[in-house]
Amino acid sequence: MNSTAVFNGELKGFLRFLLQELKPRGPWLTTFNIISIPTIIAGLIILYFRFTLGLGSVTNLSQQYPFGFWIGFDVMTGVALAGGSYVVCFVVYVLRLEKYHSIVKVTVLNGLLAYIFYSGALVLDLGRPWHIINPIIGNSFGYNSVLFLVSWHFLLYMTVLFVEFSPTIAEWAHWPKLQKFLKSLTLGAVIIGITLSMLHQSGVGAMFLMAKPKIHPLWYSEYIPLLYFVSSIFAGISMIIFEGSISSKVFSNLIGPKSHHAHHDIVLGMAKGAAITMFVYYFFLAFIFMHGDKWKLIDTPYGYWYLVEVIGFVLIPCFMYAYGVRNKNFGVIKVASIMTLLGVVLNRQNVCLIAYNWNVPVKYYPSWQEIVVTLMVVFVEIWVLRWIITRMNVLSKE
Amino acid sequence: MEFYSYVNIFETKGLAYLLLMSFLVLGVLLIKYLSTPEKKDSTSVDRKSPH
Repeated sequence: MNSTAVFNGELKGFLRFLLQELKPRGPWLTTFNIISIPTIIAGLIILYFRFTLGLGSVTNLSQQYPFGFWIGFDVMTGVALAGGSYVVCFVVYVLRLEKYHSIVKVTVLNGLLAYIFYSGALVLDLGRPWHIINPIIGNSFGYNSVLFLVSWHFLLYMTVLFVEFSPTIAEWAHWPKLQKFLKSLTLGAVIIGITLSMLHQSGVGAMFLMAKPKIHPLWYSEYIPLLYFVSSIFAGISMIIFEGSISSKVFSNLIGPKSHHAHHDIVLGMAKGAAITMFVYYFFLAFIFMHGDKWKLIDTPYGYWYLVEVIGFVLIPCFMYAYGVRNKNFGVIKVASIMTLLGVVLNRQNVCLIAYNWNVPVKYYPSWQEIVVTLMVVFVEIWVLRWIITRMNVLSKE
Repeated sequence: MEFYSYVNIFETKGLAYLLLMSFLVLGVLLIKYLSTPEKKDSTSVDRKSPH
């Protein structure tokens, strides 16, 4: 038998395996499926109109509001919430804290999917989506612009996350030699990934530096890049805690008893990290506030809204995390993680939408189509995540 | 000539220095608070843990 025949045989075998794996498993009539399937179908119909009739047909975007809910939620918030992957990789591969090793694969997978779907949502938001390739090929693009850096970083970081996750794919496809080779790339990929993450998390914030006259002074600061970077650390940690609490219930049959037990210790360690980072972030905000002498702005409606964000969704969850760690109260830690996630969403929406163009009489509100498409993106990501977790060796079986 | 008071912490950087000092003190207290768990028995973990 010649080598072509061997290759063809192996390819056929793999395609058969893939078709087998693509078949749905488990019950269809679940609450999640009942909600997500109609939303995904509605989202696809809206996207058909968006691509045939243009952005104006389904969104409330205008020349004054070029950044809408799709950028504000999908890109700005989604990227911050995906920060957990670089935090965990740093903790495991650089600080060598082995107790977190069992959550590396699932966190990297979450990060990879978040970047694919949320930064992929940029395609929906661009008036001429085919121009998305321009920063990569260097066509009519400002090489000194922050967006140029962010575009390249997103692309490189997605590649790095794919390399980090690829040994699991090779294991699933029964390619042991390739798996061994890909595993040898992990450490290099992790180091590049952490560097890229730190830069583009702050780079996303740096994009707002050129919008100084448009952003309310309480949210604008020359330290926005630093604030975005620091907030991505506790946003990522909170996402890990929140997702972990759901995964440990939904996929409990896929997690081994040792990992179940280790989960408590991991949550406590993560919560401690979140409390310290939020404490530092809160003081950064206070320093910026005092340095900018913004006292007069506090006694205004925007000032009250600012206090809601800073005290209600930064300081209080910080104390809740600390209380939860000290008393080993997992319920309080879970509530703190949800509040922190809401706080990060609120902060990004404030910078991007609510406090953006704050002195303009005509306000932007997302249309229902924008909200449905955003939900569609989230649901499709969860579908893909569920498919991968139920088929590949992502969760620790020990 | 406008009167300038050096003892007004709002006009000088006094408030920023006070904030920095409180950050350092509270930071140490937070680390200490997080490092010494109140309940050491393992039964409390099982009672309140999500599993």
